[in-house]
Amino acid sequence: MKQFKKLEWFWAILIFITLFNTFLGEQFESTALVSIIVALTVMYKGITVIDHFMELKHANRNLRWLMRMYLILFPSLIIATVFF
Amino acid sequence: MNNEYPSKSLGIFPRSWSEESAGRIPGNIPIWVGILSELTEFAIFFVAYFIAKYHYPEVFATGPQGLSTSLGVANTIILLSSSYFMAKAMMNIRLDDRIKCERYLWLAVSCGAFYLIIKTWEFYWNNLQGLSTSTNEFYTVYYYMTFNHFLHVGWASCAILWVIFRLRAGEYSAAEHSGLEALAVYWHMIDLMWILIFPLLYVLR
Repeated sequence: MKQFKKLEWFWAILIFITLFNTFLGEQFESTALVSIIVALTVMYKGITVIDHFMELKHANRNLRWLMRMYLILFPSLIIATVFF
Repeated sequence: MNNEYPSKSLGIFPRSWSEESAGRIPGNIPIWVGILSELTEFAIFFVAYFIAKYHYPEVFATGPQGLSTSLGVANTIILLSSSYFMAKAMMNIRLDDRIKCERYLWLAVSCGAFYLIIKTWEFYWNNLQGLSTSTNEFYTVYYYMTFNHFLHVGWASCAILWVIFRLRAGEYSAAEHSGLEALAVYWHMIDLMWILIFPLLYVLR
């Protein structure tokens, strides 16, 4: 039952982050800080889905590594765009 | 036709890649070949997005303002919820609770249907605003990415219906549910792609 409650928490956190990011995008000019916060939260969302919904946390480590790298690489490019 | 699995691996990959040393592969290997191919396809779209944004910063700064953010947010919440329902379906099949598993699969496929309806409405709404693939570089990237994602949600929703049919036929149980698990990881991959698409097209200016 504990595991069930954990999933609900992650679901709520993911929705909260989505709403928070939208609020940032709508209320503030797209500053470097906003871009960095959005990129970091997108990384967190991706890793949460990979580990807890996709259940790769205790599965094949190569697949988990590949998926995590993907969800770290592309949000990192958001941060990189701040400097160009 | 010989349907037996080969008793030995081909031996073309390092031993460290084997399930024994790297860990269990959720679903099956073919679905992961598909997933990694899809990830490559979307990676090309993301690279195209960043290259286009570098060359046309003003177009990409103003582009998201023409889109309906509320429809984008609604679809994000719907897809996150569908991933949650899919994870719950997986938990219930492991408990051998097929009734609850089916219930969560119906919820997941309903989310897929809602997503497709909202996305279709969004494309229609965009059209009313005079937006199209040729409006500017931002909208070209927007339509390529979102229509491609739309197709993925469409066929994966059909796959959920197929899995429900198989579940009802008694094909899945706590002991054997690799087909259901393969669909689940594919569905989560589609959700992951939207997690990346949403901030790029709707949030960041």
